[in-house]
Amino acid sequence: MGKDEQSGLRSWEWTQAGVSVQLVQRLPDQTRAFFQARGFTSADADAIARACVFQTIFRNEGKEPLAYDLNDWETAHRGQILPLQTRERWEKTWQDKGVDQAARIAFRWSLLPTRQNFEPGDYNWGMTSFGLLPGESFDLSLLVTISGKTLTGRIPAIVCATDQP
Amino acid sequence: MFRILLSLFILVVSLPSIAQQAGKGLTQLPDRPQAPDFVLADLDGNQYRLSDYRGQVVIINFWATWCPPCRAEMPSMQRAWQQLEQESILMLGINVGEDEDTIFQFTANYPVEFPLLMDQDSRVINQWPVRGLPTTFVVSPAGKITYRAIGGREWDDPDLLATVRALTQ
Repeated sequence: MGKDEQSGLRSWEWTQAGVSVQLVQRLPDQTRAFFQARGFTSADADAIARACVFQTIFRNEGKEPLAYDLNDWETAHRGQILPLQTRERWEKTWQDKGVDQAARIAFRWSLLPTRQNFEPGDYNWGMTSFGLLPGESFDLSLLVTISGKTLTGRIPAIVCATDQP
Repeated sequence: MFRILLSLFILVVSLPSIAQQAGKGLTQLPDRPQAPDFVLADLDGNQYRLSDYRGQVVIINFWATWCPPCRAEMPSMQRAWQQLEQESILMLGINVGEDEDTIFQFTANYPVEFPLLMDQDSRVINQWPVRGLPTTFVVSPAGKITYRAIGGREWDDPDLLATVRALTQ
């Protein structure tokens, strides 16, 4: 676990076999402001902000192609196993609520792709959301496929940011 | 309001150092699919149709102003453009989902001279094999998607430019 001394934001990183996954806390206020500026109502932006959002940086620094699917990743929280809140899960919410198309486009592209194939040297940034309240803690189990072989990992004790880091 | 501004400031000062870590190289696509055609306007209303540039190499960058790696690679794209524009190689930045005012404000801090096109309803990006931003493609003179880069790059890297230039021969 790391901590940015200037901002107080904490981060967690998993690296193995040339794969690097870094999760950096986003303050709920950051996320709220970001989505309000892109057309979400205060209530909807607040719902996203309180869904445990991280800036996530996923890099392939190895020598082999890799693939991942966030549907294969799980969080362990208070004895429960929960899925990530992917673009597709959120999109259903926005459709049901009739959220403006421009806001939905911004939302979709802001989140880490649900599935991705990286060649060596590729990377993505994107938000991940875990659907837990600010201050909650969870373990993340992740799965990556490298040249057809499955690699699993676990990042323990990740903490959802509160507005007072 | 103060807390929101403070939060945005923290975000801005915390993340750029990570964003500077550009990816490496271009991936050659073995199947070289035909590049989906499009017609998009730039900030001045000029229309760009991709198929009009058949016979030229075209670099197509999908991006957004809020995307840190997109912002980080813009200066190197401009430097690359300064070298390439005399060589019959076109560079097009396709902004996803944002309006003219937002992009115009962005160019005050990130001045670029290559065309910035607007895909406000994401109709074009949805036809291309893009899952995350930024993603950049190099289209051959025959209109085939030949190379892809997921994540930012240093576009004026000599090796990278040599790969692009080789497509013109």
